[in-house]
Parts: sequence; structure tokens; C-alpha cells
Amino acid sequence: MAHENAAELEEHHGAGRYLAVWAALCVLTVGTFLASRLSLGPPWHLLVALLIAGAKASLVALFFMHLWDQPGVNRLVFLTSLVFVALLIGLVLLDNATRFPLANPPNERTLRFQAPGGAEPHVRPGERQQGEPGAIGRPASER
Amino acid sequence: MNPSESSVVYNTPNYLNAESGVRSWLLTRDHKRIGVMYLVLTSAAFALGGLFAMLIRIELLTPGPTIMSALTYNRMFTLHGVVMIFLFMVPAIPGIFGNFFLPLMLGAQDVAFPKLNLLSVYLYLVGAVIAVWGMIHGGADTGWTFYAPYSTTTPTKVVPILLGAFVIGFSSIVTGINFIVTTHTMRGPGLTWDRMPLFVWSIYATSVIQVLATPVLGMVLLLVAIEHAFGFGIFDPARGGDPVLFQHLFWFYSHPAVYIMVLPAMAVISEVVCAYARKNMFGYKAVAYSSLGIAFVGFFTWGHHLFTSGQSTFDAGIFGVLSMFVGIFTAIKVFNWTATLYQGAIKFTAPFAYVCGFLFFLVFGGMTGVALATVSLDVHWQDTYFVVAHFHFIMVGGTIMAFLAAIHYWWPKMFGRMYPEGWALVAACLIILGFNATFIPQFLLGNMGMPRRYYSYPAQFWPLNVASTAGATLLGFGFLLILVYLLISLRHGKVAGPNPWGSRGFEWNTPSPPSALNFPVPPVFTHGPHDYTTGAESPPSAPGEPEHA
Amino acid sequence: MPELTARAAPPLAHHFVTMRQQTEAARLGMWLFLVSEVLLFTGLFTAYSVYRFLYAGVFEEASRHGVELWAGTTNTFVLITSSLTVALAFHFARLGRGRLAAALLVVSLLLGFVFLGIKAVEYTNHFHEGQLPGKYYTFAEVQGPGASMFFTLYFIMTGLHGAHVVVGMTVLAVMAVRAWREEFGPEHYAPIEIAGLYWHLVDLIWIFLYPLLYLI
Repeated sequence: MAHENAAELEEHHGAGRYLAVWAALCVLTVGTFLASRLSLGPPWHLLVALLIAGAKASLVALFFMHLWDQPGVNRLVFLTSLVFVALLIGLVLLDNATRFPLANPPNERTLRFQAPGGAEPHVRPGERQQGEPGAIGRPASER
Repeated sequence: MNPSESSVVYNTPNYLNAESGVRSWLLTRDHKRIGVMYLVLTSAAFALGGLFAMLIRIELLTPGPTIMSALTYNRMFTLHGVVMIFLFMVPAIPGIFGNFFLPLMLGAQDVAFPKLNLLSVYLYLVGAVIAVWGMIHGGADTGWTFYAPYSTTTPTKVVPILLGAFVIGFSSIVTGINFIVTTHTMRGPGLTWDRMPLFVWSIYATSVIQVLATPVLGMVLLLVAIEHAFGFGIFDPARGGDPVLFQHLFWFYSHPAVYIMVLPAMAVISEVVCAYARKNMFGYKAVAYSSLGIAFVGFFTWGHHLFTSGQSTFDAGIFGVLSMFVGIFTAIKVFNWTATLYQGAIKFTAPFAYVCGFLFFLVFGGMTGVALATVSLDVHWQDTYFVVAHFHFIMVGGTIMAFLAAIHYWWPKMFGRMYPEGWALVAACLIILGFNATFIPQFLLGNMGMPRRYYSYPAQFWPLNVASTAGATLLGFGFLLILVYLLISLRHGKVAGPNPWGSRGFEWNTPSPPSALNFPVPPVFTHGPHDYTTGAESPPSAPGEPEHA
Repeated sequence: MPELTARAAPPLAHHFVTMRQQTEAARLGMWLFLVSEVLLFTGLFTAYSVYRFLYAGVFEEASRHGVELWAGTTNTFVLITSSLTVALAFHFARLGRGRLAAALLVVSLLLGFVFLGIKAVEYTNHFHEGQLPGKYYTFAEVQGPGASMFFTLYFIMTGLHGAHVVVGMTVLAVMAVRAWREEFGPEHYAPIEIAGLYWHLVDLIWIFLYPLLYLI
């Protein structure tokens, strides 16, 4: 049975390994802090931060959580979850990134477009304001 | 030896009467008892959801108000959806038959975590109670899909329904974890992955989806509840929120959820087809791997629910293409099941009638699904009765048919009694005819433009709505008939014996009903399940004997 | 050499055949549960990604003016160190040195309290500054679309994470008591191992929360 062989694969190592990993994690934390102080341009500072976070996470998962010396199914389970994390975040972000810009909630990119002369959109008195928080769904009588 | 003449004994003591008293049930760790508890609870939920369905259909008997106001109607379809999906469709087949038969099929004494299994029942119960409490106080009117911004601002009692669904989600996750670990670590000696029953493969695939997808639903429902209660504005554009984000997060679960609802049905069909055709499964590996295929590819398609929501056309294109792939795996299964039936020694019983219904309805429901996944067509059909008919074809025509096949196929094993075959065939006719009469008109209505979730409609839709309600009534009578004769059979049914069908599924190598301890001697497996090629000898009937020749 | 005290036979459940099978099952079960936790937080990370994409500038301002860098950075070191002590506790428990393991778990608990304490200080400051979620947001320094959204996400993400810290600490406390009672050894260590896995996940999530909330 697979689980009978599993224990033999788990090496017995000393406590020193954990201390080494901890030291590496501290160094990487300092690293990510310092990297954030550099003025890298918009995509890069996020990418660097995520890369370093990924490295730290890998160290924790591989050594503190023993994926390094345990048989395959646990590793497969964890890696599979990462695929779905990427899938959800990726496709949702792609949606907002590729939408017709005004279909996104008003943000700094779209609010730059002012009507000529800076005219405010005309709203008749008593009409529900579009920008009013929670306006949709509330009866008009209750504002 | 003729299978029907082999030891036709009602096994006593068995798991039902080995211990008596309410406490022994409330604190049981026995997966078989837990399966029975799920049967009782989910059947009650099905009855409740069915009641809401009948009220909906009665309201739709006439244009304009018939028996209720618009607000009440909105509550009816919301609660129908919530109860049917979260309290029945998702938990039923895994909770009842998965719990009961997974360990028996694997040669294990129980699931990996029996105490967690009991916890899953209580989580279900607590979640159901919270949701029902909300229903008693009016219930939500948002639709089971809880779209923001209406769900975050509705004056109705949406928060208890959301919290109830949140709690039930954990029941689902716990069940999924239990089944995956049981399959990985508790297979009996000789039971390699390619000898596992196909039921186990599909339940395993279902469990993978449950573990991966349900937490996302939990999170998004929690966010809606928080926004409704505290006004945090996560989905409110005035506070920078994006309502479409809700739809993304919701459907990331809810599309794989439909595979949680259909994979267990396919699991059952794989078993029943082999048993009543007395034939090995044609293309075992294809059927096994296609379960995993459905589980994974099902995750890549959720955006087809957002085609008309404001999602980018780029994403719509991606999701449209990916949605086409998931049909391939279902097709693989349908072809293999059909090939198994071909030249099989068919035994036409009630379960087999349901298999026939399943195959027919799954194919039509599935094809309409592929049609809906085409963006240009969906623009016409979105939010019409076409969509309603499509998913009811799969969920009722598919999953419920399989559920009925399962309950009839396994009734003798679970309770040691046969159901009355004549009445069962009558009920099957009522169900299949009633189903057709209910939902085929709805395809036509939807294509003609009748929108869903409206309590009134223009007069041109009247005749088809009447037909649909008539069909629903027939369907309801069919279910009632089944309930009545099954309950009667518990006392007065013919004693079944260990293997009345002569099935060569592994679970039939136990007495009926099974003893509390599954296997006094753990079985050894030397070949795959449903192996009807090894001679004409009667299937093994003694528990614990390692004689899988 | 640690003294071999007479320990009770490892508790093998009736439905398992060997302790090894039981341990493997517990481990796989916990990993699957951790996967569900990861997906739970992914919903929030998705919302974060979308809103950071839409409101990049405002998020940067909100992070610079609104959250305290010293607090987040210190908490990162606190959690990393607590992960170390938990890992060491498991290591020694498995070798049969229960008392040492229990002491290490107590240190982990103390670090957990430090983490929560710092978060409490942060939350109090946010409260005073009006940096609150949704309709309660009144922080004048950072205004504009997405300003309140940053703090909504901040509170929900760190709040959910904090709830997991509390649960983790409770579990570690129970393990500390059991380790003290010399329940664990080379044959029976699954409970403390899976408790450790849960704690490491809590650390893992913070490893991502820190740069995303504090280092924008």
C-alpha cells in the first residue's frame, strides 16, 4: 500500500533545517520591505512583491509544512489549489481589464472625462440620484 | 445457483436495529445510519421545495395574479431554488448513497473521518434550520442567485437565507474531504484505482469540486450578508464596488455546483446500467477519467452565466469556447453507457426505466446547454423560460431520475425489502410523462420570449403555461406514489436477500440490510466491479469471503 | 538521551488498519481542508485584485497614509517566528520530547497574542482616524472613488485572517496541553502535525496580505 512506504520516505533531519528556513524568511521579509522603498514603476513593484511573497510561501509550504519530504498526493492537492486561485483571479481581472471602460465602476481612468464646460448631469428634483449609495432597491420615498 | 433463490434472509441484527434509541442515532458514527439520516432530511427538503414548485405553477395557471402577489411569487421562486439546490440537489446523492456505499464498495469499515461525517449532518441541519427560520419570516425575494445590488438592499429577510446556505456549504466541504481521503487511503487490499467502481470515481470527482468551489460561494454569500447588514459597499458602485464581481464570484461556485449535482447522478447510472444490462462497462477508463474531466473543465466555464451582464466581450469569448469542451466528457459517458446497454441482457425494472429517462433527458438538456453557451443565442434566451427548461431537464430529468433509479436499485440493500415493481413502473410512467409535459412547454415559452421570475405574463403564453402546470401535477402525483409504496414496503415488502438483482457490484457482497460492522473479514479484491464475463456462476453472496473469482 | 517513559498504546481508530494509514489520512484530510481555506480567501483576493486594478492610485495613497508600516512589518516577523516555533514543537513532539514541544507551543501562543495585540492597536487607530469600511468611512486625507473600498477590503481580509489566528491559537493551546501530557511520540503525532499545518497556513496568508496591504 502506498501509505506503508510513505514513512520510509520521510527523512529524519535535525532542527537546524527549520532555523535555516526561518532565517531565509526573515531575509526575504527585509528584502520585500526594501524593495517597496525603491520607486519601481507600477507593474514591477507589484510583481517583485508577489515574487518574494511566493518564495516565502514556498519555503513555508515545502519545509515547515513538510511537502519537501512527503509523498506526492499532498503536493498535488496544494498545487491544484493554486491553479484554481490563478484561474479565478486571472479571468475576473481580465474581465475588468478588457471591458468597455465605462462598464467598470467609475474610477480615476474614466472620471477624467468631464462634459465640456464641466456641466453636471441634469437630475430632475425628486428623482433618485444615480450616485446615491444604496439608491437601487430602495423605494423613492425613502432616501 | 439462481440468484433469486440464494439465502433470502432478512439480516438481523443489522445496522438499523443493532442499537436502539434516539441517542444511538443522534450520536452515530456509522456511515450507513448517516446515509439514512441524509435520506430523511433531504427527502423532507425535496417535499418542501416541491411544495414551492406547485405554488409557483398554480400561480402561473393564469396571466395576472392567481393566488398570490408579485412579492410573494418572488419569494416562492427564490425559496424553491434555495431549498432544491442547497438542501437537496447538492447533498442528496453524495450524502445518502455516497455515505452508505463508498465504504462498502471500497472494502472499508467506515469513511475516513466518521465523527466529521456526523458533523456534516448537523451542519446541514443547522443551516437548514437557519434558512427555514428566514423563510418563516418572509424569506428572500432575490432569486436563489442573490444578485447584487438588489440582494444587498432588499428589505426582505435575505441574511438568514444567506447564512443558512453558508453553513450548509461547510457540510458539503466536510463530506467532500471525507470521501477524497477515504478513496485515497482506505481502499481494500487489491483494490487499485482501475478496479474501483465507477460510482466511486464520480463521487470522488464530485468531492474535488465540493472542496474547491464551495468556499468561494461561502465567501461571496458572507460578503452579501455583510454588505446588507452593515453597508460596506463591496458591490455598490457608489462606494466603488462592482456588481458584476458578485456574479463572477457566485458563478465560480455555482457552475461547478451543477456538476456537483450531476456527477453523482452519473455515478449512479454507471452502476445501474451495468447491473441491469448484466454487462461490464464499455470503456471503463473513459467513463472513469471523464468524471475527472467534467470536474476540472467545469471550473473554466462560469462566465457563460454573465454573457449579458456587462462582462467584457473578450472574457465572453473565452468562456464561450471553454464551455463547449465540457460537453465532450458528458458525451463520452453517454456513448459508453449506450454501448454497454447494446446487446446486454436487459432486465426492465423501474430503475432501468429511470435510466432510459435519464439518458434521453440528459442528452436533450445537455444539448440545450451547449446552445445556451453560444453567446449570440444566449442574448435571445437569457432570463427566459428556455434557460429554466434547460436546467430542469438536467436537474430533474437527469439528477432526479438518477436519484429515483438509485433509491429503487439500492432500496433492497439498504432496508432488506423489495419495493412493489408494478407500482414502481406506474410511478415511473407518471414521472416521465409528467416531466415531459411540465418542461417541454417551457422550452417553447422561453423561445417565444416569456421571461422567468415574473408572476404574470401576456395572454399568448397562457395555453403552454396551463400545460406545464398540468404536467407538474402529474409529476407531483408520481413522487407521492413513490413515497407511499416505499414507506409501505419497509414493513410489508418482500424480503430481499443479499442480492436480488444478481448485481456484481461490490456492495452486494454484504447481507441486506448490512450488519453494523461492514466486514468481519476485510475483503480482498482480485478484479474490477460488475465483471459479468467470468462465467455463469452466481455472484458471491457471503460477506467477508475473499472469493472474487 | 530522553527517558523512554511508558506511554499508552497509540489510539488506533477501529476503521483504520494501521497507525500509518490513520496518520496519512489525517494529513491528507487537513491538506484538503487547507485547500478549502485557500479558496475561501481567494474570493477576497479576487475582490482586492479587481479593485486595486481599478483604483490603483487611490489604493496606494490609502496604504501610505492609512496603514502603519511598522505594525505590518513587525507582525510579519512575529508570524514567521511563530511558524518556526510551531514547526520545532512538532519536530520535538515526534521525537517524544513532549515538555519541550509544549513550551515551544506556549511561545507560539505568546507570539499569537503579540500579533493580535498589534492588530488591536492598528484597528483602534483606524477607528479614530475614520478609516472604516463602506458608509462609515470619514478619512478626509484620502478621498475619491475606491478610498473606502481599500479599507473595506483591509478590514474584511485582516478580520477574517484574525479570526483564523484565534482558531489556530485555540488548537495550538489544546495541542500544548496534550504534548505536556506526553501523548505524542514517534508512533502518534498526527494531531500536532495537522494543528501545525493549520497554523502555517495562517502564516502563509499573512505573507501575501502584508505586501498587498502595507507595501503598495
